[in-house]
Amino acid sequence: MNYAKETLCNALAAEYVLGTLKGKARQRYETLMMENQTIRETTWLWEQHLNGLGEGLKPVQPPPSVWNNIQQKLGWVAQSDNVVTLKPEKSNSKRWQVLAGLSTAAVLLIVLLMPLTQPTVEPNISSVAVVTDQAHQPLWLIELSDNHIFTRATSNLVAQQNKDYELWMVPDDGSAPVSLGLLPKTGDVQLVRPSQLTLAGVSALAVSLEPLGGSPSGSPTEVLYISPLTKV
Amino acid sequence: MEQETLFPLLRGTAQGNREDFAELYKVASPQVFAVVLKLLKHKELAEEATQDAFIKVWHNAANYQRARGTVLTWIISIARYRALDMLRYQRVRKTEDTEPDSMASDEENNFELEAKLSHPKLESCLDELDAQQRQAIHLAYFNGLSHLEVVQHLSSPLGTIKSWIRRGLVSLQRCLSL
Repeated sequence: MNYAKETLCNALAAEYVLGTLKGKARQRYETLMMENQTIRETTWLWEQHLNGLGEGLKPVQPPPSVWNNIQQKLGWVAQSDNVVTLKPEKSNSKRWQVLAGLSTAAVLLIVLLMPLTQPTVEPNISSVAVVTDQAHQPLWLIELSDNHIFTRATSNLVAQQNKDYELWMVPDDGSAPVSLGLLPKTGDVQLVRPSQLTLAGVSALAVSLEPLGGSPSGSPTEVLYISPLTKV
Repeated sequence: MEQETLFPLLRGTAQGNREDFAELYKVASPQVFAVVLKLLKHKELAEEATQDAFIKVWHNAANYQRARGTVLTWIISIARYRALDMLRYQRVRKTEDTEPDSMASDEENNFELEAKLSHPKLESCLDELDAQQRQAIHLAYFNGLSHLEVVQHLSSPLGTIKSWIRRGLVSLQRCLSL
């Protein structure tokens, strides 16, 4: 690498780590990093330089819920007592009307699963979605309450072990999808619904195939399924 | 935070030892959370970034290389990239309740670090920078500000700010590599 290229490489790496390299330039740089060892190593060097700054900040203890969520997302803990899974709501006939409009298989599956759960808290479910594959087999059941997203993998799901499945909200206005978290490969996972998101202007959920741990770029890597979100 | 403490915990994490991972989280998460909280200025988003970062650490612990810095620096890098992505999403969406608070307050311009940097040379090299260069880099690092936002913040033309950041980074690199 000649001097000019080395200087450019250093400048790009530094701005990438700093965060001032943005948009398409940032995406192009991420591609370059994948292809070029020198660029990757230069980036690592700047990570060492600049992220040393972060070590100078006074530590702040995160709340215990963060560790609890990590364990849940890694599938290490069963759903705790206060975690709510799919369940029937006696008084909510409208919800059943909506479910009646979903695929027969999906509804049948929900009906079969619901009696199995004994929730301790009554969630205020506002929307539901059933993610189905191309053959319309339900893969995940998803319910949204004011604060949480309840997800359950069905037995139809044949999950790739070296990949994760990430759930996204797809805004109507064409803006970028917003990650809601990783879906379970088996069993239930309760995700925290981002408080800044409202359902107005969101009509669909998407599921993407991602490297383990979720999207490395913040955008869906490979969208597999899109499912309409239905208010109840 | 000593590499001697964190590296064995990361090695255990790479081998699937959950207790080591729990200890790694316990020791490193307050520093990681501090960085993303300062960047995002929103507690729930900072919690999400910390959570996502440690999930990534669990899955990718075996990929850590010493060339990527100390274990803590590596984890901070993962968390900070995640926080930068989240910050961009929030700005694209212009979500009101995640707008950074008091962007123009004097407090925001105060980047006195509370603790000694584990990289003493970084500290001395930062001290050697011009005040404007140092402030522009600090704003970009701690607040995640783009060039344009730094312009608004420092009330200087974009070209000047870009120049401060670039020259500052070049000087920093020269000083650090000596």
